[in-house]
Amino acid sequence: MAGKDDRAERILAALGGADNIVEIEPCITRLRCELRDGSVVDEPALKATGAHGVLRSGAVVQVVVGPEADTIASDIEDLL
Amino acid sequence: MSLRVLSPVSGRTAALAEVPDPVFAQSMVGPGIAVWPDTAGAALAPVAGTVATLHAHAFVVVGADGQGVLVHLGIDTVQLKGEGFTLHVVKGETVRAGQPIVDWDPVAVRAAGYSPICPVVALDAAADALDVPQPDIAIAAGDPLFTWRD
Repeated sequence: MAGKDDRAERILAALGGADNIVEIEPCITRLRCELRDGSVVDEPALKATGAHGVLRSGAVVQVVVGPEADTIASDIEDLL
Repeated sequence: MSLRVLSPVSGRTAALAEVPDPVFAQSMVGPGIAVWPDTAGAALAPVAGTVATLHAHAFVVVGADGQGVLVHLGIDTVQLKGEGFTLHVVKGETVRAGQPIVDWDPVAVRAAGYSPICPVVALDAAADALDVPQPDIAIAAGDPLFTWRD
């Protein structure tokens, strides 16, 4: 599907890029992202990648991506 | 064809909105129902199909028609890092409905400070596609929990 392949890239960019990532852990339906700076997260851009929701709590941001979370997380790991 | 989804655990039903996690309470990944589990033992496959995602504390089984059912054993239990959970299957394995997937103990989960409630979610289903039971009904593991119409 068009747009699917660069999903990891777009999510990473919306999270502030590789330099902003402390840790990304997939948890079945979501990416639990520990960031250096949680304030730079681009929520509309995350939603545009197909995310069902974004939960923010300071530097910890959870992106609800659905059950492909494992795959997306490993795709993002490859980009780091 | 409608899919009959079995309860993975025994306990009492609860509305998904009761689950202390907005992803489930707001049905972000799909509608469903939760079960307050009451006994230690095996959590069962809710449908026949393929184990598409497998963690110690949660799994997804996808049926032949591509319908995925998510079972989450307790809330924030990813933080237990698998401790107290014993897997019986591997990712990608074909399972029958009611087959044991993982052993766990909801009492120990609660003692560790986590809610043991188990959301059972019809992934990406339409909000009105499920026939769910009333909350606070006793249910045994392996009993029909809800029907997913498509």
